[in-house]
Amino acid sequence: MSKKKDPRVTRIEDLAGPKSPGELEEMKMPYEEYCRQAFDPGNEAKKPESLKGIRWLSCTMYIFTPHSAANLAELGAEVIKIEIPRMGDAMRHTSPFNEAYLYPLHESRPMTGTGLGFTNANINELYLTMDYHIPEMVDVFYGLVKMSDGLTELYRPGTLDKWKMSYKYLQEINPRFIYVWGGGFGYGPKVFGGSYDILGQAHAGLASITGMHEYMGGHATKCTNWVIDWASGTIITYGVLAAIHWRRKTGLGTMLEVSQVQTPTRFMGYSVPLYGRFGIVRQRWGNWDTQLCAHGIILCGKSDYPDADNPQEKFDARYVMVSAFNDPDFQELCSVIGRKDLWDNYPRHKQRLEAEAQIEVYDALEQWAADKTRTEVSDALNNAGILAYNVKNHREVYESEHLRQRGTIRWLDDPLFGDLLTHCTYSTGLMSKSPRRLKWQWRPVGADNVKIYRDMLGIPVSQVEDWYEKAWI
Amino acid sequence: MAQEKRDVEINSIQDSLDMLTPEIRPWPVTPPPSAEEVSTQVYTKRKAEDFLGWVEDNVKFEKSFGKAEALAGLKVLDIGLWRLGHKFAASMLAEAGAEVVCIEPPGGDPLRQLTPFGREEYMLADQETGEKCGIEFIAEMVNQYAITLDVDTEEGQQVFRELAANADVVIEALPPGYADERGIGYRHLKDLNPGLIYAWTGIRGQWGPDKDRLSKHGQWEIEPFACASNAWIHSTGYPQDQLPRGKGGDPTRAGVWIADYVAGEQVAVNIMAALYWREEFSGEGQFIEVTGAEALMDITDFDMTWYGFNKSIKARTGAWDPNLNQYEWNPCKDGYMMIGGQSDRLWYRIGMCIERDYPQFGRLIHEDPYLKEMGARNALHALIKTYTLTTRWLRDINRVQAEEALLEYEIAAGPVLFVDEVCEFPHFKYRPWIYNCESDYGTFLYPTSPNAYQFDTPHRLKWVGRRLGKDNGEIYSKWVGYGPTRLAELKTEGVI
Amino acid sequence: MCDVIWCKKEVDGSPCETVNYLDPFCFWNWEGTINCAECRTVYYIHMIQGHMYKGPEERPGEEPDTSPLYADKPLEGYRNYMFATEGRTRPFECMPRSFLLGEADMVKFSIRGKPVRGWRPQPESAGIAGSFPYHWDIQNLSPDVWEEYQEKIRKGEVSDW
Repeated sequence: MSKKKDPRVTRIEDLAGPKSPGELEEMKMPYEEYCRQAFDPGNEAKKPESLKGIRWLSCTMYIFTPHSAANLAELGAEVIKIEIPRMGDAMRHTSPFNEAYLYPLHESRPMTGTGLGFTNANINELYLTMDYHIPEMVDVFYGLVKMSDGLTELYRPGTLDKWKMSYKYLQEINPRFIYVWGGGFGYGPKVFGGSYDILGQAHAGLASITGMHEYMGGHATKCTNWVIDWASGTIITYGVLAAIHWRRKTGLGTMLEVSQVQTPTRFMGYSVPLYGRFGIVRQRWGNWDTQLCAHGIILCGKSDYPDADNPQEKFDARYVMVSAFNDPDFQELCSVIGRKDLWDNYPRHKQRLEAEAQIEVYDALEQWAADKTRTEVSDALNNAGILAYNVKNHREVYESEHLRQRGTIRWLDDPLFGDLLTHCTYSTGLMSKSPRRLKWQWRPVGADNVKIYRDMLGIPVSQVEDWYEKAWI
Repeated sequence: MAQEKRDVEINSIQDSLDMLTPEIRPWPVTPPPSAEEVSTQVYTKRKAEDFLGWVEDNVKFEKSFGKAEALAGLKVLDIGLWRLGHKFAASMLAEAGAEVVCIEPPGGDPLRQLTPFGREEYMLADQETGEKCGIEFIAEMVNQYAITLDVDTEEGQQVFRELAANADVVIEALPPGYADERGIGYRHLKDLNPGLIYAWTGIRGQWGPDKDRLSKHGQWEIEPFACASNAWIHSTGYPQDQLPRGKGGDPTRAGVWIADYVAGEQVAVNIMAALYWREEFSGEGQFIEVTGAEALMDITDFDMTWYGFNKSIKARTGAWDPNLNQYEWNPCKDGYMMIGGQSDRLWYRIGMCIERDYPQFGRLIHEDPYLKEMGARNALHALIKTYTLTTRWLRDINRVQAEEALLEYEIAAGPVLFVDEVCEFPHFKYRPWIYNCESDYGTFLYPTSPNAYQFDTPHRLKWVGRRLGKDNGEIYSKWVGYGPTRLAELKTEGVI
Repeated sequence: MCDVIWCKKEVDGSPCETVNYLDPFCFWNWEGTINCAECRTVYYIHMIQGHMYKGPEERPGEEPDTSPLYADKPLEGYRNYMFATEGRTRPFECMPRSFLLGEADMVKFSIRGKPVRGWRPQPESAGIAGSFPYHWDIQNLSPDVWEEYQEKIRKGEVSDW
């Protein structure tokens, strides 16, 4: 509530508007310019880091749990990734169609590279190798625990417990410790079931509602990328940050048990409650929307780039997202495509949202688009004031002036691997004062062994070399 | 329990509606296994009963309500329409204990009116007033208070400033510059409340040459616009080589508004990071902007890096992953079966499992010299061969049989489940990943927060959506000290 | 014989012995004619839910509706026909480039012409216990690539985007 004012005094802070020439400038600035200056893409390194001083251990593999720790590293935490000696994370051995690798994977393997499948999941981290099985390593591991704020692991249930590295033991060593066990299923009947992103999509229901309906000829469709792995990893990061907030007040750590397979169910909007109340099982509805019409992706007759060499451009630059669900927009749409009868038949949103009406509406749109290119279609609609947007491919994303200006597509001069195009980190959100940043993509397996074993834990170099020879690290 | 039986003739949905209630068709249909059964039949198999018993004792969902809340005392305002990103972020904060107030215009968020295929019979009625609301809106307003405010009026803007002066966090999801033009944007609020963390979220951005637009008639851009603008749709779906174009072989959107969820969780993460920075170091709030297009682009694996490497444009590959073999789902007798296992150890175990029923698999796959090396197995022709023969095995068995067979070999495998099967899957019921909450709209089946299983501060669901303006009295009184008379005035003026 | 057509057609006195793979999503429910990738014999098949309801029946003289994507010959060391072998296998259009390598692409420069460590072998550069510095000393480690880079700069083949 505003404070009671003394009516006899006029204070500058009570007057509306800016209070100094600097503020005056700021308030006069067009809003876009104001945002651009506030976020100042490209100068993140000059600003402070949000999570300065937090140190995290990432005993992880694949995408789900690594991403949960990488999020912290992007925000300024020091994250130590612990990998299997020589081999490293299994994800290093994945690459699209076996074609894209950066070299070397490890000092001893000049002919083996890290596949691009590893990209973005472990950025800014320090790379340590350690074989947890070796009894001599347990105390070393405890040393790391005492010096860290928390840990994320993904091992099968009880694995780290067997080696006395579970939260049961670590909370005694470091009561402030925050421990994350990120599994596929977590406790319960399927606790030993392994999991992957694609398993989450399948098992949790997302696949059953993605893709073309059977009558359109479609099958249950996988959302591209390992989207559920990544998204579940971010859920962990959030849980960790909330726990850190709580720890600021109480000084106490906690343990989180997070299941990757669960996340997609939480992303399914009305699906579960609709089933619970009415027994209705939501089905696939292809490129259309179950709650809005017209609001869908249509196929146009011609590609924008019929002569391109890349088949993705030649054959697939043919899809447009069209949206006109509000009455005036839909009316306008019908008039642009010369089908005023559709507006006469379906003047209310509820009417055009019925399945049969949707089929008719999108058929009409595709018929109208049959002799046009993708851009002819989107231009015609945009010029009429209707929302339409080309379904873009990666070249178009690369060439997007918008993303370049916002710094969410940029080139990284990686300290060890050179020139890498990057679409991560900055794209998770612009922050005006303590932004995320990308320092390096990844480092070879064990690249920071000396830095951590000697410089941090004080283990003599001769000892480190001995362990290395024995492949303990 | 004895079940009453009766004959019913169903000619239209109307004939079945009154039977589709949880009272007549309960959830779960069969009870989950007991803790005792799980411990003795599952955990002991691998001598994990002690450890998992300890885990269950400490993180079990049923114990979450007696525990502390991590964000207790944090005050959050959420204002926006139509989309789910800001609502998901607000729900995440509220699940961890923050006091989250959702502001709607006096007419309500249009999302309240959305219902699948326009079916009003699937909207739920508030038990006190009978007001109907769409399920998606109710589901995405976890633990939030519902108040109304018209920020298009000058008075409403003043009220908003007073609310924000008292808040730790504002989440805004209005069109670009909308709040700023009304004097309630970040640059106005930061002076009133220097500790304020202000997060804007939208589709492509509030600034830049391709920022969010409205149509000529004022219609908003809604998901999947974000997925269209970052090549995500371009690379989702079946190739035209597997299914004909126009009949399933096209770029495909997600069934849900996925970029909203992905942006929403990063809004929550960035807010928490900004909060840490405020509390630990600076005492200052800051300005955050998260878009669906970019937050989703962040998690498109290596896609853009690959383009920068050798101009590859990621093509869609249907239900097969181009980076790992095996890692896919294929059709089987009663649906689709997902199988994963890439390393030699797992890959050959899958083969051993299939070979038992279909010896030719072992011969054609394991003898083939081109399939011996892990990386080489990811080549497209290797996928075609492996998956054709895997499906030859799957076509004769159903999902449960395949799952049991593969789990015996410790292979990550799972069926593509439909929503009813998800809700009835024993593991999901046991944890439970879905459970019934008693809401203002009656029994409401709900997916649990993945952060609900913790020693000390589990996130939890206390209530779901509320009717429009239900909490005006409580929140305006607590946050800005307005009594009933003042609220009545504001109501008359159309401000709330 | 289902999901694969193991062609036993007599060709020059011996059976063809080619395995033609019928990829599952395309052929799960499908009816029509398809050729053997090796001997080009045309078969009629009718697939329902992955089962071959009818066929394969030879249809001499007919043009095939489609071809397999991949075929191989187990008795000849798995000699194979890749997709898009003209007249034998079906093209596969939905690819990231107009061609696929199926093996690691040796890349020294990014698409804007700056060096990237995408080739092997890399000269040794690690320190104790597999440690690496935070700096790619390309001038000393790979002087030939550095020289090539200088040449690219001179030719204007390096750009900001």
